[in-house]
Amino acid sequence: MIRKVLIANRGEIAVRIIRACREMGIRTVAVYSEADRSALHTQLADEAVCIGPAPARDSYLNMEQIISATLISGADSIHPGVGFLSENSNFARLCEHCNITFIGPDSQVMERLGNKVTAKQTMQAAGVPVIPGTEEPVLDAQEGLAAAKRVGYPVMIKAALGGGGKGMRVAENAEEFEASFQTAQTEARQAFGDGTMYLEHFVRNPRHIEFQILADRHGHVVHLGERDCSMQRGHQKVIEESPSPALDEELRSAMGKAAVAAAKAAGYQNAGTIEFLLTKEKNFYFMEMNTRIQVEHPVTEWVTGIDLIKEQIRIADGEELPFAQEDIQIQGHAIECRINAEDPARGFLPSPGTIEELYLPGGKGVRIDSAIYSGYTVPPYYDSMLAKLIVHARTRQGAIRKMKRALGEIIIEGICTNVDFQYELMEDDRFLEGNFDINYLERRNVK
Amino acid sequence: MTGLNLAHRFKKTTDLPNRADEGNAGDKNQAPAVPDGLLSRCNKCRKSIYTAQVKEAGYICPHCGGYFRMPVRKRIALLTEPDGFEEWDIGMAVENPLNYKGYPEKVQMLREKYDLDEAVLTGLAQIGSQKAALAVMDGRFLMGSMGHIVGEKITRAVERATRMKLPVIILSCSGGARMQEGMTSLMQMAKTSAALKRHSDAGLLYISVLTDPTMGGVTASFAMLGDVILAEPKALIGFAGPRVIEQTIGQKLPKGFQKAEFLLEHGFLDGIVPRMEMKNELERLLKLHENLAEGQRAFHVKPIQKSKREQKEALLAGEGSPETEETPAAQKKITSTLTPWERVQISRKKDRPVGRDYLNKLFTGFMELHGDRCGGDDPALTGGIALFRGCPVTVLVQKKGKSTTENVDCRFGMMSPEGYRKALRLMKEAEKFHRPVICLVDTPGAFCGMEAEERGQGEAIARNLFELSGLKVPVLSLNIGEGGSGGALALALADEVWMLENSVYSVLSPEGYAAILWKDASLAEEAANLMKMTAPQLKAAGVVERVFAEPKQYTTDTMETVCRQIRQEIGRFLAEKSDMTEKELLEQRYERYRKF
Repeated sequence: MIRKVLIANRGEIAVRIIRACREMGIRTVAVYSEADRSALHTQLADEAVCIGPAPARDSYLNMEQIISATLISGADSIHPGVGFLSENSNFARLCEHCNITFIGPDSQVMERLGNKVTAKQTMQAAGVPVIPGTEEPVLDAQEGLAAAKRVGYPVMIKAALGGGGKGMRVAENAEEFEASFQTAQTEARQAFGDGTMYLEHFVRNPRHIEFQILADRHGHVVHLGERDCSMQRGHQKVIEESPSPALDEELRSAMGKAAVAAAKAAGYQNAGTIEFLLTKEKNFYFMEMNTRIQVEHPVTEWVTGIDLIKEQIRIADGEELPFAQEDIQIQGHAIECRINAEDPARGFLPSPGTIEELYLPGGKGVRIDSAIYSGYTVPPYYDSMLAKLIVHARTRQGAIRKMKRALGEIIIEGICTNVDFQYELMEDDRFLEGNFDINYLERRNVK
Repeated sequence: MTGLNLAHRFKKTTDLPNRADEGNAGDKNQAPAVPDGLLSRCNKCRKSIYTAQVKEAGYICPHCGGYFRMPVRKRIALLTEPDGFEEWDIGMAVENPLNYKGYPEKVQMLREKYDLDEAVLTGLAQIGSQKAALAVMDGRFLMGSMGHIVGEKITRAVERATRMKLPVIILSCSGGARMQEGMTSLMQMAKTSAALKRHSDAGLLYISVLTDPTMGGVTASFAMLGDVILAEPKALIGFAGPRVIEQTIGQKLPKGFQKAEFLLEHGFLDGIVPRMEMKNELERLLKLHENLAEGQRAFHVKPIQKSKREQKEALLAGEGSPETEETPAAQKKITSTLTPWERVQISRKKDRPVGRDYLNKLFTGFMELHGDRCGGDDPALTGGIALFRGCPVTVLVQKKGKSTTENVDCRFGMMSPEGYRKALRLMKEAEKFHRPVICLVDTPGAFCGMEAEERGQGEAIARNLFELSGLKVPVLSLNIGEGGSGGALALALADEVWMLENSVYSVLSPEGYAAILWKDASLAEEAANLMKMTAPQLKAAGVVERVFAEPKQYTTDTMETVCRQIRQEIGRFLAEKSDMTEKELLEQRYERYRKF
């Protein structure tokens, strides 16, 4: 039985986990870097252990130090939170070897899902739709032309050793293909000394729809509906909501079934997220599985009434899920805005510093998950998220109004934040209509 | 502003009855604990590491990036395809020439402990698409020292490779000679070197890879004899051990002494390759040297996987690129009427394309090789192997930078003796593997200074002229900027010499010329107008074969049109030369200079 959890993380997610543990009567151990001595998670936990200097690689990514801290403090389990070591299968394996309960899936499953190729193969075998592409390398344009026809236009041509957009081209049709292939291959040869290429169907401007699943150790898997995370900027999610305005009941059920099938195929246990790309034509493709809790989990908690962190701990403790799929009811609409220490006027450059004045809103249907307080200094070493503002109302329109109201009350002085940017988004026509895709915010910013 | 102090102000967790009741007893086996051997400590940064993970990830410390020594079979697995290694010469009996007490027993004990025959494993390896004879040493076995079995296994592997016409790759890891075997061990140095000489004389490739540590008799024999010598980062490489040297000279050695980086700087390595990239680099090198020894007439540039005819077509046609449309006749005539002095100034312009721009535009897959193997690596010369329309060629580039910092780093393209010796070494390597040599000239002149004279600047340039005149492969020289005197000529004794329209080539800089003849460097303009140093003038004088017209503003943005013509001409040159016999080629080159 889990009695004492070490939280291998920092910031609001560490605080969120400490709170869940406290309500369950589980003792908590925080770990902190030298830069986080006065951080909220350090102060809030029952005990705290310093694990090294400020840079994450010396502290929050230092597996051996965290294992030592666990043994010294007498904790029996580790919650990895999000980011840092949460998807590191070596860390999960190390915990297993040391008899420490890792609150997450087991290391082998994590490793398999962490490898894009095997993950895709597993999903394909389970009948989950994946983006069509070539499995064998393509070496010349003629061979590629035939493969491109199978894959379906538009086709993305990618270098096997690619990175940073080099050796990458999109061909709209067969006429364009040969020239695009040559250019991409020449570029790849010049950049990587290798002209091995792959083809993949190119999805233009899709939505990012993800399904939350919970799987216990007794073979039960349920999904808790979707989150629409298409409001992104520079691959960072800005606003998340549940349910998605793009899904109807039929599509939700089809995607939910696929998500459950995916989790079952992977032999998954604990909380996880299946990410899909959704096209305008309402085709969906498996992208990847996140083998951890997600930042945006509160929107799901609010529409389902289920505490995901507590369920994670119960599953890790070997308990059965207390509900079945038919018990899950999606009620109302929840939206989350990420409040970051960044300066929208300067290209969203991180803005660390000391918070001099702080007022955070409340009221019915307003939740704030954060680790900031008045006088807190945001260190420059880690990500810039300060708080998550989550609202819940009966309808999407109601939720947006509530979000706008709450954003309008926030006072954070001393550092720059994106609060006003978020406030503007609550008046954005396309957002209000629910008509956006993963590239919408980028296009909007350009304008 | 006063911040909120949170210390000790929050309530602690109160146990819920159902959790507290269980107490802390539990099963002792279930309590969290670190099993023995699960974690260990990095011997470089002293940080704790997860042993299994480090082993899986190539024996590299995740904290400091330092390399641990690798067991031989793991090493082979990292370099070869799955099931791509067929071991040779297993189970040779150990001899004890000095009747050294306990030696055979010690060897037997190590054999059992590591399930290893000896300190080296040899065999036939499949590395990507390439085959090679591979020998890998294991430092766990008596510090990888070279006894008679190590020497014999390496010799047999090399002999077999010679018979099978295979390249050899040896990964060294050794403390040196095996003391327990006395003189027998010393003789292994001679034996292995002699076997490699025969392998080399058969025109075959040997790549030596030095890992930590490569010392003593191994360094002083097969490890340093590679056509190409690579090393892992920070590997200790030397003849005498650092402690022995310190004791002998009574001084502390500087940091980094005898490390791979030190050897690279001193010209003994072609390159330092990170462990996880070694397989790719070896495969690339093997491909660049592929199958050129096989009864081929000299300088038959054989492109990868193509017949001779196809290759010639590829050279001429540019593989279906738009270049085909342009015939030599369409080449632009030199129409501009600049004065020589104006051309001199253009040749020195800061935004003019430099060697590396041409390297990128004319060739693909360039692999740089460093060092003169005599004590230096000149930053003013970039040399290596690249592909021209699929054919491997050796490229030697006098290096200028685009900023003052870059120019200081490459000494403004002024080569030192070690630069000319590196060039010569790479020319001879090209000759061995029947690969044409293409030189890009851009230098104000050879480096002028005390150190250069001490190391024989004149001798180094003379040696290049001497050897180039008889080099049995086609040699092409293209002047892209300044051709300063002997410093340029050392890369321009060629079958054909070409110039860009506004490049210059002269016996001395106009400033120097004016200073010597008229004792006044400020008369440089007059000197330039007198010296016949411009491309059109030199073409008229028969010093160069071809001049390429330049656009008005000649920069990297406008160089493509010029490069297109150069590529076309290089294709023609290589195709033409591949039809000539070695004798014809050398005769023509002799006559080219005899006429002056």
